Amino acid sequence: MVTAVTKEQNAEAAKAVVENLSSRFSDAGVVAEVIAHTSGKAYDFVRITCSPDQWRGVAKHLKNEVGVNYCAMVTGTHFPEGGADRGWEVAYHMYRWPIANVAAHTMTVLEGDKLKGDEIPVEFEIFIPLPAGDTPSVPSIQDIWEGADWNEKETWDLVGIDFEGHVNMHRVLNPHDSPVAFHPLQRQHKIRYHDFNEMYDDPQGFGRKPVDEGRVK
Amino acid sequence: MAEMWITMGPQHPMTHGLWTLRVKVDGETVTDTEAELGYIHRGVEKICEARDFTQITPYCDRLCYVSAMTWAHSYVMAAEDLLEAEVPERAEYIRLMAAEVQRLASHLMWLGAFGPDIGNLTLMTWCLRDREMFLDLLQELGGSRMHYNYPRIGGVKRDIPIGWGNRLKAKVKLFEHRINEYEMLLDESTIWLVRLQGVGYATAEDQLNAGVTGPNIRAAGVNTDTRWTNPYSVYDQVDWEPAVEKPTSVKGADCYDRYRVRMEEMRQSCRMLLDAIDKIPGGANTHYQPGDEMILTKAPTRAPEGATGFSTYECTRGVSNFYIQGGGDGRGKNPYRLSIRSPMFITIPYVAKTMIGYKIADIPAIMGSFDPCIGETDR
Repeated sequence: MVTAVTKEQNAEAAKAVVENLSSRFSDAGVVAEVIAHTSGKAYDFVRITCSPDQWRGVAKHLKNEVGVNYCAMVTGTHFPEGGADRGWEVAYHMYRWPIANVAAHTMTVLEGDKLKGDEIPVEFEIFIPLPAGDTPSVPSIQDIWEGADWNEKETWDLVGIDFEGHVNMHRVLNPHDSPVAFHPLQRQHKIRYHDFNEMYDDPQGFGRKPVDEGRVK
Repeated sequence: MAEMWITMGPQHPMTHGLWTLRVKVDGETVTDTEAELGYIHRGVEKICEARDFTQITPYCDRLCYVSAMTWAHSYVMAAEDLLEAEVPERAEYIRLMAAEVQRLASHLMWLGAFGPDIGNLTLMTWCLRDREMFLDLLQELGGSRMHYNYPRIGGVKRDIPIGWGNRLKAKVKLFEHRINEYEMLLDESTIWLVRLQGVGYATAEDQLNAGVTGPNIRAAGVNTDTRWTNPYSVYDQVDWEPAVEKPTSVKGADCYDRYRVRMEEMRQSCRMLLDAIDKIPGGANTHYQPGDEMILTKAPTRAPEGATGFSTYECTRGVSNFYIQGGGDGRGKNPYRLSIRSPMFITIPYVAKTMIGYKIADIPAIMGSFDPCIGETDR
C-alpha cells in the first residue's frame, strides 16, 4: 500500500523553505509565506511575491539551493483596473519533487512518510506584479528550467507579456500570421454569449463580426 | 548527404491528432525537429471568463475526449480550493473510482492506437472492445458515453446506481485476465520488441526539468506520482502502489519501458477499484438521491477578488494543473482568469527533441509511446 506525504512533513518542509528564503531575501523586499489550500487535504504551499528585477536571483536560488526541479505552469493576467503598480501579473507554479541523482539500471521506490528535509515535496506559487502600461515585461527563466520554455511562449502568445532573454519566441497556439500585438487574453478583447435570435438567423455564424472589427490591430 | 526538411502532419497517422512535426533528415536519420501546435486551439481559457463556475465543467470535459472525467475532476478541485467547498467522503470515493475507470479507458485507447503504429492491428480491436466495458460504467454515472459533466463543486452529480459496484467488480476482474492476454500477444511478438526496445531514450531528471510527468517519468525508474506526493481525494486510504519500471539502459527509459509502465498502471487501477468499492462509506449498494449531503455539499457560487484556487492532479498523461483567480464578471460569479496546464503541451515539444538521432521509421514508435492527446494540448 502506498504511503503518502503527511501533513506534518509538508508543513515542516514549507516552513523550512520560507525560513531559508526569508534569511536570504527579506532585506531585498521579497515576501515568502506559508499558505494553506482550503480544500481537499488542505496542504501548505509557499507563496513568494517579488519584483521583476529580483526574479532571476530568486529563481536561481530556488533551483540551486532549495532544489525546485519542476516548473509546472506560467500564467499571465491583465488587470486594466489594477492601478499603476499592478497592471499585469505573472504567476509561476513550481514544485520540488524528490527526483535527484537517480542511478542508472535501478528502480527508486520512494516512500512518502520516510522522506526527510529537502526530499519532501513542496509546492511554490510565485507572483510577480508588473506596472501598468503597454509593454509588460519580465525576465525569462527558460535557461534555468527547460520546462518554462513553452509555458512562456504560451503566455506571450495569449496574454502578451514579454519575456526578456527568451530565445526563439514565437506563436504557439494562435496562428503564426496573427497580427502583431494581438493577444486574445488581454481584457480589451471581450467575449460574449451569442443570443438565441442570432443563432436562429445565422446558425452557422457566417454573418458574425468580431467585436473589435474596424479597429487597427 | 544533403539534409532536407519534411513535414509530418497535420494529417498523419503518427500525430494522433492535428499537429505538425517538421523533421530535418540526413538520409534516414533525424537531425532536427520542430513541433507546430495550435490547430485546434479553441480558446477555452477565454471562454471560461464568460461562464460561471458550474458552467465551466463541461468545457473541461472536452479538453481531452479520452480522459474527460479526470479533467473535470481536476478543474473541480481548483474551484473547491477557490470557493472553500467541502467534499463528503463518499463523493471522494465515487470520484476516485470514476477517475480510475477513466484511466483504464484512457490507457486502453492509448494502447489501441499505439498497436497500429507498431504494426499490430489486432490490438486496436481488442482494446476498444474492453474500453467499451468501462465507458458503459461511466455512462451509468454521467449519462453520456464520453463527456460526463459528472463531478460537481462540492461532490458529484448523482450517486452510483444500485448494482454498479457489482458490475464494476465483474468487469475489473475480467479485465485483469485480459491484461495478461495483451501481454501474451505483445511481449512475445518479435516485431513489437524490435520496434520498441532501444528506441526513444529519456532519463527521469531530464524529463522533469523539461516538464514531462506522469507515466512517462515513472517509466524512467522513479515512482513519483502526485497521488502520493501531493495527496488529494482518498488515494491515501485505498490499496495501490505507483507503477514504476526499471529502465533497461543508462540512457533512461525506452519506448518499451513506457509501454510496460502503462500496463502496470492499469493493474494498479484495477487493484484500487476493487479496494475502493469495498471501502466506500455508506456501502456500494445504497443509493442516495441527487443533492443528498452524503454526495454533495452546498458550495458558494461567488469568489472575491484576490482569491486564488489551484489544483495538482495526476491525469492519465501527466500532471494537470488549474489555476483560477476570483473576482470576475457578475460580482465574482465568473473567474477573472482561469489557466490550464496541460501535460501534453509541454511533453510534445520535448518528445520532438528526443527523436533526434533516431531513424524516420522510429518516429511513430517514440511519439506514440508518450501518449499524445491534442485536445488538451491546444485547449
